[in-house]
Amino acid sequence: MAALQLLVNGVALGAAYALVALGFVLVLNATSAVNFAQGDLVMAGGLLAVALAPLIPLPGIVLLPVVLVLMAVLGLLLALAAYLPLRRRPPVSVFISTIAVGIILQNGAAILFGPEPRAAPPLFGDDTLRIAGLAVPEQSLAIVAVAALLIGAQQWVFARTQLGRRLRATAQDPEMARACGVPVTAMILVTFAIGAACAGAAGLLLANRYFVTPTAGGDLILKAYIAVTVGGWGSVPGAVVGALLIALFEIGVSSVLSYPMALGALYLTLLAILVFRPQGLFGEAVRRRG
Amino acid sequence: MTMLLSVDGLTAGYGGARALDGVSLGIEAGETVALLGANGAGKSTLLKALLGLVPARGALRFDGADLGGLATEARVRRGIGYVPEGRRVFPGMSVRDNLEVAGLPAARDRARDVERVFALFPDLAAKSGEHAWRLSGGQQQMLSLGRALMGRPRLLLLDEPSLGLSPKLADEVFAAIGRIAAAGTAVLLAEQSAVRALRVAPRAILLRLGRVVGDGPVASLSEEALRDVFFGG
Repeated sequence: MAALQLLVNGVALGAAYALVALGFVLVLNATSAVNFAQGDLVMAGGLLAVALAPLIPLPGIVLLPVVLVLMAVLGLLLALAAYLPLRRRPPVSVFISTIAVGIILQNGAAILFGPEPRAAPPLFGDDTLRIAGLAVPEQSLAIVAVAALLIGAQQWVFARTQLGRRLRATAQDPEMARACGVPVTAMILVTFAIGAACAGAAGLLLANRYFVTPTAGGDLILKAYIAVTVGGWGSVPGAVVGALLIALFEIGVSSVLSYPMALGALYLTLLAILVFRPQGLFGEAVRRRG
Repeated sequence: MTMLLSVDGLTAGYGGARALDGVSLGIEAGETVALLGANGAGKSTLLKALLGLVPARGALRFDGADLGGLATEARVRRGIGYVPEGRRVFPGMSVRDNLEVAGLPAARDRARDVERVFALFPDLAAKSGEHAWRLSGGQQQMLSLGRALMGRPRLLLLDEPSLGLSPKLADEVFAAIGRIAAAGTAVLLAEQSAVRALRVAPRAILLRLGRVVGDGPVASLSEEALRDVFFGG
């Protein structure tokens, strides 16, 4: 029973991590650039929900579309300021510019909100349901449902629409996409917008149960990085599965030992994966950018 | 016939090295022209410069309109299709998605054009749901050709379409190029295999070290001029 309880908690956390990792890997695929501000975008989404809550005193699910739109705009600004002017420079330029954006977001958040942890409103309610002897917080169910819906919707767009085909073509071969008439720069902007919207959604989902502070992004970008490494660098399904696995690992190990021990074990596991299976779980998909 | 593409004094290069040096040429609507030259003559660079994939200086007009300053995607929308050297299909996308991504905005037009490509290349129809990386080299070349047709081009730029293919597959690809040209699409065909190229193109442009050294009907080109382009002299 305890294991099932941990599974429920782990899946809820993993669903939110999956959104973080998904946004990270989408930008990575479209631009070959590592967006180190992704964790700070999650933090920004959480604090945006905190700031909007008194203005819109309704459940978090009503805030979600507002957060998605505002974060998408922030993603566009990030691309315009930190990626597009530097995209023909060596990759380290974008690496540094996204770190800079992350630091600006962290310090901006510290000035506006202070360092203390804040909680966003729950998506629907904060009751705990009893299901087959398990205590399941409504928020956990809502996190899983909302994350599954957002990831499913995104996969549908990518698989079934012309916009999705253009985004995938841009990710696989930008020059050839351009030669097929795809407006690649616009697709890159859309990708940054989607990536930031994913981060915002994750921020809202996480900021109720796990709180949010201006420095929370550092931990989250590491989780996204690990999820993408475990899943297979560049693999979208791999990032989602990797995020679920690390959340389950984190919850499982911290229940037996402690959270710091769980983090240590997670990094050790990451090292082992890098040594013994550097292509990750979905390595084939990486090679072909599927 | 009306002039579809006119190029005057086109210069392009990579870093300090000049790959094209004052190239001038014209292609009429519906005309098939072979672009012949040895490795490094500047054939691929010329095609890329026409599409805006490499920076170039000089006057470029397509269907009477100035192409200078237009982005690659805008040139494609004006009616220039491109089949690159090495096929470069999108490997993680299905055959159908590879075609649709290059198609017109309206879904109904795209569906019609996909069927048109499948009629031209029946092998692709049978594999429409498969990932492009699973196709053979010849099938990938057909997919690359079909993808370029999805934008309903009036001028098709083909870069070494027989490269890496068996003679049988290369013949099939060239037969398809012949059918595309016969349907009225102008073709500029860069090819090292002069014999194959001259089988489908009644006119040839000879390129050597980034310069046009010959341009005219195939019958007017001397064997010596062709040998000179490929082997120097």
